[in-house]
Amino acid sequence: MGILLLNALVNGILLGGVLAILAFGMNLIFGVVKVIHMAYGQCVMLGMYVIYTLTSIYHVPFLLSCVVAVGVMAVWGGLLQILVIKPLLKAERLNQLLALAGLIIVFENLAHVVWGADLRGIEIQLPVLSLGNVFIKTPSLLAFLGSLIVLLVLYLFLYRTYPGLAIRAIAQDVECAQLMGINPGGIYLLTLVIGGALTGVIAAFFSPIYSVHPHFGGSFTLMAFIIVVLGGMGNLLGGFIAAFIIGIVTSVSAVLTSLEIAEISALVIFILVVLLRPQGLMGVRVSK
Amino acid sequence: MLEVSKIDVYYGEFQALFGVDVRISERECVVTVGPNGAGKTTLLKAICGLLSPRTGEIRFEGRSIVGLPAHRIAELGISLVPEGGRVFPQLSVFENLKIGSYVERARRGFRQAVEEIYELFPRLKEREKQVADTLSGGERQMLAIARSLMSRPKLILLDEPSSGLAPMVVSMLFDFVADIRRQGYAILMVEQNARKALQLCDRAYLLESGRVRLEGDRESFSAEEHIRKAYLGI
Repeated sequence: MGILLLNALVNGILLGGVLAILAFGMNLIFGVVKVIHMAYGQCVMLGMYVIYTLTSIYHVPFLLSCVVAVGVMAVWGGLLQILVIKPLLKAERLNQLLALAGLIIVFENLAHVVWGADLRGIEIQLPVLSLGNVFIKTPSLLAFLGSLIVLLVLYLFLYRTYPGLAIRAIAQDVECAQLMGINPGGIYLLTLVIGGALTGVIAAFFSPIYSVHPHFGGSFTLMAFIIVVLGGMGNLLGGFIAAFIIGIVTSVSAVLTSLEIAEISALVIFILVVLLRPQGLMGVRVSK
Repeated sequence: MLEVSKIDVYYGEFQALFGVDVRISERECVVTVGPNGAGKTTLLKAICGLLSPRTGEIRFEGRSIVGLPAHRIAELGISLVPEGGRVFPQLSVFENLKIGSYVERARRGFRQAVEEIYELFPRLKEREKQVADTLSGGERQMLAIARSLMSRPKLILLDEPSSGLAPMVVSMLFDFVADIRRQGYAILMVEQNARKALQLCDRAYLLESGRVRLEGDRESFSAEEHIRKAYLGI
């Protein structure tokens, strides 16, 4: 049992890395554009289908497929901003939420029509590493390391460049940001393009681990949302820490009980946080 | 340099400005005084593009800027320092200055500009790494003005720079504004503290209920009976 738990803990940490990017993307979009991207996990699902189609049907090398998928999903994110989010920027919160939730249905059915309901996976054989009694799947380890690199690049972008600084400024005060010469429309588009590219990156990390099906994204949208709330809406560092908490909790409780209970335990944490600390573990309470 | 002619500005159905005319020449310091709700802030917001006048014309260096979005007007060299020193609370002092130089023409000289600002405001250098949220009200106002200078503006709009500050801090602040003025920036300042503001300016306007009631150079404006009684208390 102890060895099983140790394995679960390691797997939880490895999963936490990828979840951290997922939550980062959703958090960034919420922080800057102030909308909740309800179909974020579904975008990951579409990205995985892009990689599947390229590698399995057109026999494009896996790595090249991943690069293409990141580009395609970045464009997809940009289109989402132009066609769906931008027209709704001044609309009621509820209408924005409904429109983005509607995208879940659109994307999932799109996948149904194009790829069908069957599980689609790519064939990649990578060895399992063992460290004493701990067994690590190579794709999981690569995904984890890749996630840390992506997060580091995102950090440098946000903290070292003018566009990154503009993104952070606009998240704090749009009107004041315009007075600095920052074009909100341009920054919103950039944010959705980055958010979209990240769904492509996650798809690349997930493809060697999971098979994809039209409803693959749902649990990840939910997981990202739970992490974002847990870490405090708009709080990027909080989201990073929360991603590992959720990764560990779900994978450890899956070993202790069952997969269903694992998802329930994540939701229980979510409900407790909303009840007891609605500003999130590291969020700042905003008084009105 | 800036010519505002006959602008009407509305908030929805409510009209806030009625045919307002204001002009500012190069290197000039102009003050607009008036009671609360007279439309002083509205005037500044209309100039910098946060509000759009329904009728009338605003020309800056000869070209019309009515209808341009705020970020385009900032690029042209008009910089508003909003009321209460609205700095970005979660950015450090240094990052607030850096974002001040976001416009293309200011980026190149960014390093040197920061050094100059630190010489002018040593307090900001001491607090370089602190987030702006932790600054006092006076420091925040100074940071907001410094941030505006970072954009190498041609015209600085100051919205109630002294509002909410302790009297001693207010004096310091007006000294800074006087410094900036000596450096040759054109300034349009809106201010409740008429006595201090009028000492600083070349010309002044009185705005009441959305209309320009009076305008003149410093001496003649300050000598008006209405100004002396209602705004200077003498």
